[in-house]
Amino acid sequence: MHRSTTRQQYGDGAMTDTPTNEDSPDLDSCVRIGSIVSSNSHLDYVVEVYKERDCDCPPELHEREFGQPVFIKKTVDGTEHAVMGVIYDTQLVDPDQGRTGPRLAQDDQAQFTPGYIEERTTLAGVALLGTAEISEDGEIQEPTHQMPRWTLEVEDTVFNCPDQVTVSFHTVDDQIQLAYMDRLLDIAGDLGSEVIVALINRLQGMLPDDDPNQRVLDVVEQNVQWQAREQRGVV
Amino acid sequence: MADRSDVVGTVAGPGDDPNEFVFVTPSDKSIKTGEFITYTVSVEDEPRSVFARVTNRELIRGLPEGFLADPEVGPETVAATLGVPTDDTELYRLTATVIGYYDTNMTTFANPRQLPDPGTPLSIAPHQQLETVLPNLGCETDSTDVTSLDGVAHVGWLLNRPAEATNLHIPIEEFASTHLAILASTGSGKSYTASVLIEEMMRPTSRASLLVFDPHGEYDTLAEMQGEEAFQGEDGYEPDVVYYDPERLRVRISELEIGDVMAVLDNPSNRMQDRLSTAWRSMQNRESRTWGIDALIAEMEAEFGADDASVGALEWRLRRSIERNDLFHPEENVPLDEIVDPGQCTVLQMDTLDRRDQQLITTVLLRRMYRERLGDVRNRDSDIEHPIFALFEEGHRFAPASGEAPSLGIMRTITSEGRKFGFGLGIISQRPSKIDQDVLSQCGTQISMQIKNPSDQDAIKNSVEAAGEDVLRELPGLTPGQAVVSGDAMNTPALIQVRQRRTPHGAGSRPVIEEWREAYDERQREPTQSESADFGEGESTGVQSLD
Repeated sequence: MHRSTTRQQYGDGAMTDTPTNEDSPDLDSCVRIGSIVSSNSHLDYVVEVYKERDCDCPPELHEREFGQPVFIKKTVDGTEHAVMGVIYDTQLVDPDQGRTGPRLAQDDQAQFTPGYIEERTTLAGVALLGTAEISEDGEIQEPTHQMPRWTLEVEDTVFNCPDQVTVSFHTVDDQIQLAYMDRLLDIAGDLGSEVIVALINRLQGMLPDDDPNQRVLDVVEQNVQWQAREQRGVV
Repeated sequence: MADRSDVVGTVAGPGDDPNEFVFVTPSDKSIKTGEFITYTVSVEDEPRSVFARVTNRELIRGLPEGFLADPEVGPETVAATLGVPTDDTELYRLTATVIGYYDTNMTTFANPRQLPDPGTPLSIAPHQQLETVLPNLGCETDSTDVTSLDGVAHVGWLLNRPAEATNLHIPIEEFASTHLAILASTGSGKSYTASVLIEEMMRPTSRASLLVFDPHGEYDTLAEMQGEEAFQGEDGYEPDVVYYDPERLRVRISELEIGDVMAVLDNPSNRMQDRLSTAWRSMQNRESRTWGIDALIAEMEAEFGADDASVGALEWRLRRSIERNDLFHPEENVPLDEIVDPGQCTVLQMDTLDRRDQQLITTVLLRRMYRERLGDVRNRDSDIEHPIFALFEEGHRFAPASGEAPSLGIMRTITSEGRKFGFGLGIISQRPSKIDQDVLSQCGTQISMQIKNPSDQDAIKNSVEAAGEDVLRELPGLTPGQAVVSGDAMNTPALIQVRQRRTPHGAGSRPVIEEWREAYDERQREPTQSESADFGEGESTGVQSLD
């Protein structure tokens, strides 16, 4: 726990300028969150979050937080697609933890642990939600919440999904949709309701207050939370 | 595979009761409770259409109630947001009770004693088949065209079907011989339904001899049957509607029985009763049937002496209750041949008579008619040589459960014996619990309409044999004009919408608000007694200057 504070401080401290354009998000210039290292299932991937040595501008803490929508670019049959996902879990990995062997400590350096410090890493679980086509002007179109059929590759880059793209991915026929919800609840397991609530809150924050979808989202949120409380024995 | 286009559901398995089964339908096949459905089973190697009635309907699959959390957000919207399909999501589980297949030999339903197998396709019973098999018409096949039959009364159509789709024709002969009860709370269409039946009975195919005891004057529009084309026969028949107003209603004193006289006298003492019955008996034994109170008193004085105190007290009572009442007359009587005739509907308007007089005239008339019918059947000389049917509006007045009516005895006799003598009764009432249970239970055919009062519902349950639980459950929920027809005239009870009358209806509620306003305007136009205001002619008496 003590060691993770370094990261925490790093994340909080350094404010890098991310090249985001509010009006038309350029899918190429989105923040890179990390790269895929493994998968648990067809819809459940493990992403290693970039650190300062992995890329020019590693993601800030709030850019890779729990419930953050992400996307992975895939070219299928000549068309560029965005495979949409969400961070539903995170995990810290420290190979140094529990190591009890001799340490090369010196007076000016209390602890000498070459190499290992760089192996400390944060893993994020990403559940896939659906897909969308990326048009030539860099916007997404024809979003679908069907299960993506394509498999992602190890080392595929995972991008932070800007708010506007998130909204357009969730808008089908002028109505907000979260048709992937059953699958997401299944993958996210214990944190299923939390990730959905986080997504809903994010969507609600992006929509105007008087949008009719706000109330629909309220009802959905209420339902999910109530069911979770029921399952957990609160009510 | 057979054509399943008319299949509405599929049998899932047996239900709780031995005659019950459960089936499942999707939401687009909307089947209402009370609907008749049919399936085919093989009985003695012959395929038979078995009919069943839907008794319950419950949702087994549908959107969760949590989707209804916000009244302004429709559940379909929430479902669409979650990508839950809303088309054809609902599944209903329905319970149906087997009625049976139509046994052409028995001309009624026979229970196959065998529930349909799971997976059996069910379809809505066809209109014409239901028209044939629901009423007790005795058709030899289940596809007879019932409109061509004689002596049937078209009372309405099945409630669950579109208007006039499945018409119900009940056999007049059945309810006219085994009696009829029309039970409904006020305003739900009792007299309307009765008028529909009267209309049907007066049509050229039936030409009934009808007598209506009408304490409220509700049947004064029936006369419009005369001249109406639907009621005219090819042979020149036209129904005759005769109104008997209270002034023409007479009871010959000698027709009264001692019990009737006791009923009209002010609590006579035992001694008085004894004196009177002795005298009455000897008067009855006389040849002459036209004696009056004077002759009766003379007889009593002759028997017990002129200064007998009881005779004196009786004289006063008799003169007050009988002699001063125009209803009683030493000689005049209502001529039976005037009030009953085939093709004639006589309405005895009794609206100005008090209840006791209504009961007495009814008692005497029923007794005389019953005597004549008895004579006719026993091949004696009789004034009434054809079956008759008498309809009682406010039936609880004439056959009260409290037993306090002179007419109760003869009503009981006719309902239990009248069938053999061609004398049918129709009881119309809004208080089934106040009708004598013996009389009510003898009414073979029942038309029950909306009844909310629990004690009245109990009365129906206790006295109406054919009324099953599922029929009674419908009673509180019916709306005016809807009725359950059950009993001898039906093979199985059915929910119907009573058809429109051909003649206008006369017994609706009065337009109270309109009448109040009219009465008020009337009052305003009349010159008032108070002094009219001074509009300032001459010297002003108004506010004076104080200066």
